[in-house]
Amino acid sequence: MLPNPLALIAEITHRCPLHCVYCSNPLEMAAAGSELATEDWIRVFREAAALGILHLHLTGGEPLARADLALLIAAAHGAGLYTNLITSGIGVSETRLAELVRAGLDHIQLSFQDSREDAANWIAGTRAQGHKLELARWIRKHPIAFTVNLVVHRQNLDHLAEMISFIEQLGPDRMEIAHAQYYGWALKNRAALIPTRKQLDKAIQVVAEAEKRLAGKIRIDSVVPDYYAKYPKACMGGWGRRLMLIDPTGKALPCHAAGVIPGISFENVCDRSLGQIWRESPAFQRFRGEEWMPEPCRGCERRSEDFGGCRCQALLLAGDASATDPACSLAASHSIIEAVLAEVNANHHEMATPVRSSSLRILQQEVGDLWVYRPNPE
Amino acid sequence: MALPADHSQPQLAKGCRWGEEGADDTILFPEGVIKVQGTGKHILERCDGQNTFADIVDELQKHYSNSDPAKIRDDVGKFLEALQQKRIVDY
Repeated sequence: MLPNPLALIAEITHRCPLHCVYCSNPLEMAAAGSELATEDWIRVFREAAALGILHLHLTGGEPLARADLALLIAAAHGAGLYTNLITSGIGVSETRLAELVRAGLDHIQLSFQDSREDAANWIAGTRAQGHKLELARWIRKHPIAFTVNLVVHRQNLDHLAEMISFIEQLGPDRMEIAHAQYYGWALKNRAALIPTRKQLDKAIQVVAEAEKRLAGKIRIDSVVPDYYAKYPKACMGGWGRRLMLIDPTGKALPCHAAGVIPGISFENVCDRSLGQIWRESPAFQRFRGEEWMPEPCRGCERRSEDFGGCRCQALLLAGDASATDPACSLAASHSIIEAVLAEVNANHHEMATPVRSSSLRILQQEVGDLWVYRPNPE
Repeated sequence: MALPADHSQPQLAKGCRWGEEGADDTILFPEGVIKVQGTGKHILERCDGQNTFADIVDELQKHYSNSDPAKIRDDVGKFLEALQQKRIVDY
């Protein structure tokens, strides 16, 4: 029997005041005018709770860009969902934060780009660091769980220990050390972001030491980046197995990046209920289970653990969404990953120097072809 | 970190809460959920920030009077410590 999804990821907008070079949003973002209305989201949250979903992750873009966020949280809370806000923090005052907590927010996950202000602003394409620090202090006054998320990559991994100490000072309950994942904007900017093996080995050691030191105080969640792993990640816990993602326009997807896969039509929550989409839509059934699997997945004993890896990565790197994830060392296309790693580990990469500017235009001009900033959708 | 001290008052950590009606044997926390039953549920229901660790142990020792009291104390401490490491319980 098909289990219920456990979590709903609601990308309530693609608008964002930040322009992070590894943003997980698709390259083609939803325009402000095409976003679902308040009452549509509220209906979706009620359907989600009725379907047995426990956790709601409100994300974007920057969810605070929606003026109705408190209403959405209140509706989700009222439906019984455990509500998490994934945010850059830009767009919340101390008063608005209190309003969101009163509405029933359970958990806030605040992203930091770096411990060093110049570097953080250089990655985000705007000045955000000062406000984030202030927000972290406000958050701790409220009875909600607090996670700090830090995306790591070649440009900041060398001072990971410093970044961990910096986060420690903010007093969160959890710290997520997330390697950039190469989809969307991060794939476009991969050459500047992918770490070297030496950096990665050092980082694993730094994280292990921090875990030991912070045990019982701050929980650290960190994952080895899949390009360096022997086996692929169990992307989203398997296609259509645990999670549903709704994009700003109401399109239901099995993951953040699935929209890039050609030949799949994704249904909209305005046309069908969440339950119908979960159970019956061709998109959610496309890679569910093991029927679709090619060799070597089909005969692999790990197939029920990693589900053949990530379909989007298979498409983006190997050109075939039905192929084994190239990140798997057993995949026929693994040479694609090996070539990327050989390149980054053979060349002596000069570390880029952060550009200091609060103007996106100047930043883009100054960084040249190092990377492309994510623009704000219209 | 260590086992809870006698005078500590264990409670669910910030942002961790019991499930709604019909799911009141679950504890929801960031990114996850645990199902608790039997003695585990009994212990966590007493982790209200009021009862001390000593109170909770004492009650269980009386309840399971045929078991070794030192072992009960040790088991309850380890149970709470494991949840504290996951940032589900604070003391």
